[in-house]
Amino acid sequence: MRKKKLMLHFWVLPVCLVLGSLQRGHAQDRPLSGKVVGTDKAPIAGVSVMVGGGSTGTLTDENGNYFLAHIHAGDTIVFSFSGMAVQRVAVGERRTLDITLAGKVAGLGEVVVIGYGSVKRSDLTGSIASIKGEEMSSFATTTPLMALSGRSSGVQVLQNTGSPGGSISVRVRGANSIQGSNEPLYVIDGFPSSSTDPSILNTSDIQNIEVLKDASAVAIYGSRGANGVVLITTKKGKAGRTRVDYSSSYGVQSLRKQLDMMDAKQYATLYNEQAANDGQAPYFTQDQVNSFGKGYDWQDLTFRNAPIQNHSISVTGGDKKTQFAVDGSVFDQQGIIRNSSYKRYSLVASVNHDISDKFSVSYSAVLSRISDAKQESSGARFGASLISATLLAPPTLTPYNADGSYRVLSSSYSFVSEGLTNPLNFLNQATDGVASNKVLANAAVVYKPVDGLVLKIFGGIENSDDREDTYQSLLYYNSQGVASVSVTQTTSLLNENTISYSKTFGKHALSAVAGVTYQDFLITTLAGSGTGFLSDVSQTYNLGSAATPGIPQSSYTKSLLLSGLGRINYTYDDKYLLTASFRGDGSSKYSDGNKWGFFPSVAVAWKMKDEAFLRDVDFISDAKLRASWGATGSQAIQPYATLNQLYSGKTVFGDALYTTFAPGTVLPGDLKWETTDQKDIGLDAGILGNKVRLTMDYYIKNTRDLLNSVQLPSSLGFTSTIENVGQIRNQGLEIAADVNVLSGKFKWNVSGNISFNKSKVIKLYGGQDILGGYVDMLVFADNTDLLRVGKPTGVFYGYEENGYNANGNIQYKDLNKDGLINQNDKTIIGNPNPKFIYGFNSAMSYRNIELSFFFQGVQGNQLANISSVDDALVYGYGDNLLKDVYNNHWTPQNTHAKYPKITRSQSMLFSNRFIENGSYLRLRNVELAYSLPFARKWDVSWIHSMRVFVSGQNLLTVTGYSGWDPEVNSMGGANSTAQGVDYYTYPTAKSLTVGLRAGF
Amino acid sequence: MKNILYCSLLLFGLASCRKTLQESPKSIAEENFYNTPAEVQAALGAIYSPLRGSECLGAVYQSIQEATGDWFQGRASYAPISLFNGLDGTNTTRVGLIWNDFYLSIRNANLVVRDVPKGDGLTDDQKNASIGEARFMRALNYFFLVRNWGGVPLRTEQTMDSISIPRANPAAVYQLIVSDLSFAENNLPDVAPVSGRPSKWAAKTLLADVYFYEADYSDASQKAGEVIASGKYALLKVNTPDDFNNLFGAGIATTPEEIFYLDYATQSTWAFPLYTAGVGTPYLGVDGYYAIYSNTTNPLYANWDNNDFRKAYGWYSWNTPLGPTVILNKKFTDPGSKTPDNSYTLYRYADLLLLYAEATSLAAGAPTADAMEKLNMVHRRAYGYDPLQASPVDFQLADYDLPSFVTLTIRERGYETQAEGKRWLDLVRSGKAAQSIQAAWGKTVSQKAFLWPIPVSELNYNKALDPAKDQNPGY
Repeated sequence: MRKKKLMLHFWVLPVCLVLGSLQRGHAQDRPLSGKVVGTDKAPIAGVSVMVGGGSTGTLTDENGNYFLAHIHAGDTIVFSFSGMAVQRVAVGERRTLDITLAGKVAGLGEVVVIGYGSVKRSDLTGSIASIKGEEMSSFATTTPLMALSGRSSGVQVLQNTGSPGGSISVRVRGANSIQGSNEPLYVIDGFPSSSTDPSILNTSDIQNIEVLKDASAVAIYGSRGANGVVLITTKKGKAGRTRVDYSSSYGVQSLRKQLDMMDAKQYATLYNEQAANDGQAPYFTQDQVNSFGKGYDWQDLTFRNAPIQNHSISVTGGDKKTQFAVDGSVFDQQGIIRNSSYKRYSLVASVNHDISDKFSVSYSAVLSRISDAKQESSGARFGASLISATLLAPPTLTPYNADGSYRVLSSSYSFVSEGLTNPLNFLNQATDGVASNKVLANAAVVYKPVDGLVLKIFGGIENSDDREDTYQSLLYYNSQGVASVSVTQTTSLLNENTISYSKTFGKHALSAVAGVTYQDFLITTLAGSGTGFLSDVSQTYNLGSAATPGIPQSSYTKSLLLSGLGRINYTYDDKYLLTASFRGDGSSKYSDGNKWGFFPSVAVAWKMKDEAFLRDVDFISDAKLRASWGATGSQAIQPYATLNQLYSGKTVFGDALYTTFAPGTVLPGDLKWETTDQKDIGLDAGILGNKVRLTMDYYIKNTRDLLNSVQLPSSLGFTSTIENVGQIRNQGLEIAADVNVLSGKFKWNVSGNISFNKSKVIKLYGGQDILGGYVDMLVFADNTDLLRVGKPTGVFYGYEENGYNANGNIQYKDLNKDGLINQNDKTIIGNPNPKFIYGFNSAMSYRNIELSFFFQGVQGNQLANISSVDDALVYGYGDNLLKDVYNNHWTPQNTHAKYPKITRSQSMLFSNRFIENGSYLRLRNVELAYSLPFARKWDVSWIHSMRVFVSGQNLLTVTGYSGWDPEVNSMGGANSTAQGVDYYTYPTAKSLTVGLRAGF
Repeated sequence: MKNILYCSLLLFGLASCRKTLQESPKSIAEENFYNTPAEVQAALGAIYSPLRGSECLGAVYQSIQEATGDWFQGRASYAPISLFNGLDGTNTTRVGLIWNDFYLSIRNANLVVRDVPKGDGLTDDQKNASIGEARFMRALNYFFLVRNWGGVPLRTEQTMDSISIPRANPAAVYQLIVSDLSFAENNLPDVAPVSGRPSKWAAKTLLADVYFYEADYSDASQKAGEVIASGKYALLKVNTPDDFNNLFGAGIATTPEEIFYLDYATQSTWAFPLYTAGVGTPYLGVDGYYAIYSNTTNPLYANWDNNDFRKAYGWYSWNTPLGPTVILNKKFTDPGSKTPDNSYTLYRYADLLLLYAEATSLAAGAPTADAMEKLNMVHRRAYGYDPLQASPVDFQLADYDLPSFVTLTIRERGYETQAEGKRWLDLVRSGKAAQSIQAAWGKTVSQKAFLWPIPVSELNYNKALDPAKDQNPGY
């Protein structure tokens, strides 16, 4: 609120000054009063009402009313409000004057939150995408980040797993770091969060999100800005009527698609073929084979239709002095895998109070309680995890024995893998629950000694107490009861002291902010475990009763960041804009002498529409050109990485454990910051009276001094060290367009965005490739991707197949022609980086009915379908396989089949066979809504609005990918450059939702 | 006014930053360690811990060694080893990890050797005993390295910080080993403070083994003889095959036969029993992997006297998809337990007796009565007789000349040290590898199979090595 008024002043004053000099007052005094409303008839508070020819004037109150005591007949009154067209009205003989202000340039008047301040969208010099809370909360998502997917150009949201509460990776303009996090910095209500995921918030708690992309926007966050910054503002109160908003949605999720596995008869037939090929007696007699029908569908056992619901209520309001917001919400997602769920209760409150003209205080707090029951047993091979067991369990078998006990699959047939575990073990006898209490509280005191000068002291506390309990019961196969409890407390304290000033002199407008900040980060952990319990009753709540108690573990990690920051915005003639910012960060994590990093940026913008050459070009209604350069950093190392610490371990003498101390295997190095230089050129344009709005950005990001793991000869005892050596470049183009196709009774708005990003590894230590994405499938164990100089990040790295030999075995190309097939024959076989990502949104309304749909897509990327090793290519372990294998495998008659000969001795390597096109287009949401006309037709005025809707999520996915879902990232994580690997991950769901939104 | 306040705040902030930004972890820094007896004990312990993991002496080392021998074959990912054509990718990776562990242990030993003399909280005797233990362990590591890889980079307390070091020849490695062990035998205590740590007799035993592998039979015989003469050790008497559990089973505190073992506990278990056990086995509380297994058709097994307790104790038939003649080893078992805590019986009195018998005969140029008696002690015990009394199963000196006696001791060592990870090296040492493998499995041993490849990580990043010249033959 306060910020908005501030901006208002320097926007309005020049206009008034110019106009005022043209007018002269005379004749006798009289009062004038009136009301200012918008085109929606809602009163507008804070409109500047100035008497032309002087500096007298007032602001409208919260009801839009104003009163001027001394007016002359010849006076002209100037009504102006940020983002609205200025209106000048000659008073004449009138005593009252009501005004309707219209939006000057739709959307451009809105205020955009930026780091340590806010600015009008029209005055932006950087590249910033905004997403409004109401756009995001149209359907329930586990995390607000999911709602960003496809909404904003340059922002790629990777869903690592479909599990409730599952992690999300966000990449703003590509990945920069090898060692460090590639997640953006999340700033919640001004607090730079220490978490890589704003899971503390429910989507419905959010008022709006800004994604800062270019260097000029993020450099004020210095060492944490290299991956972009996501600013999240929770719901805030406004002066005026108290509003109560209620929203509720209930959906049913289901598995988006079942994988088409062999049925019982096909299973038996295929394994008999394997036995014949391997010279063994058939596993099943012909009578048995004939008696098998479809068999048991294990996917039905594991998956279910599960509800997802979200309910929230918020009360906002206040008067001129005090504004408040109170918001509570419940999010409850049951997973499509049985016994998995995620619940979040959150309470958000904020209050802002003006003590006097000069002093004000504000406070906001978010509290949330999350309880998460996981069924994330994924990866593994030959049915040793839930997801893999669900697919690989033989359809000829059922989960239960006749006596109701769980069938032991591994010993049901002589030819099945010893790892194949009945999924019931994971579903019913293993639990993994996380309960978290999270708090984020901020308070600020603001002092305005003179007009334009603002001093602010801001403090905040972020705390997360997480407790994870895992338990494997006595009924779990081969188990004697295994329990573990781990508790993690993460605390961050923040203090920011800023001073800001804004002033307008004639055509010059200046605003500046400077400050010093302190933030610390403390993580403590405590964990205990035990094996061997008499009963399942105590679960994880009596570790002391374990036959073999585990060794307790605890840890302590603290780091802190001291910073000085500053920014100047200068505008000349409301046409030429300049922003320069600077941040100096001192981090405890780096070596002495390298602790401080300095991150400057500069940006210019030119509003061309007001220039002579465009003023009369009617079809262009607005045009602004932007350019920026800046440096940002990344804290890619863990605390204490530069110290020679000793690590404890255990050894055994006699029968007792002895504690040992020795250095680790990573040699501590002298480390400094990773720095990302980013250049950006952008254009914002409005066409045909802003019916079409267009934003384009081209950027180049160069990250240097990348922290690289440098391999050492292992005979040193240290196997690696970390050095600042690498360089990666990301460059790309982003286009976003918003078209107001139809207005009037039938309204239709479409918007879309598309982003192209190209990454390239420029330099690595000694030109060494960095291998990543290690998978151990037993039949092969290999790195699936690498970083190589001159190539995009994380390209897939494997062998090339060369058909089958006469025996139906896979052959590989001997690329280096040395007569051997070994690591030297591996080559780049795919690229997980999309050529472009896009989103498309359409909203139509006719009277009370609204229809909207939202598509999102990824194009030109590839996925490595590691899951298909087990479910399509390993024939020696009795795994159930894709039906496709049954229909299309090598036989002497069919030598060009998709799959090789069914034999237990089929050996394989990580090859181009596993690389698939991962492009997809997804109908992420489609919604039909009806607004009940309480006020207009039924004369129920206390119901301000009420909408009911039905919607569907992920109802349609167009993809050629053969796995469960192309939106998969099994190896995803903050620090990972490995992406695009599908390795038995919790699949994504589709859902149907009904809901209600009401305002009172 | 306010501006001044803020500026001074900023300046104050920057000035005090230096101190604020210092890290103070709640952990021990390397610089101040190695000063008290307790600290040195913890540092010595860290020499053992790298070796204990399943990727090293916890399971994989023994599995690979045995899969290359004449008693076992490797299954699944261990199967390529048993083709005797050198290691495939997976097993090359495995031995690379073993290399890392040996050298990590060597680094931790070097730290003790380098830093303990500087400390002021220990007496000279304590220092020498600690350095003796560190040098014993360093020698043990290099002994593993030199036998499996040939010459290797020699990292001592003087060269431990240099990143690139050339490959030393095997003689230089043995020279360091002998000098370390000579120091150790003079400075280690007469009795180990606790089972699992070396005494001076362990040092002499290891030294005897080192001389043995160097074909210095008289020194080997002399050192082994000193250990026997000390009277510190004796063979454990067995009356039934299952009595061998008192020697190899879980939960055994110590035995008179123990010279130097790697100890395990339920909280820090030995994984190797899982590598020999089958699925659904009664000998463990979990399913095993049977990474190594054998076959009743193996002539070594087929021709083995059924009255030898070790045959019934060590082997059982088990139904696996590999066929009806498969037998699995149960020398190390822990029935019902998921956390086997058997000790790895690295140096055992029976082993030393056989070493003495062979070395003494080779040194003398003919089998001696003393040598035959030591061999017979081990042999008698395996039939349930008193090791120290003549028995009906005794071999007679008159029946053997030197070659046939050596063959006899090597066969006996095969019976005695099965599943202890020693067989292949024994065969290589005695020059019998090719013929034994041919006899047992009908396979030809290629030259490549005799040494493990130097890990790629060493060749790539140790600039003193030339990948073309310094890699072992065939890789």
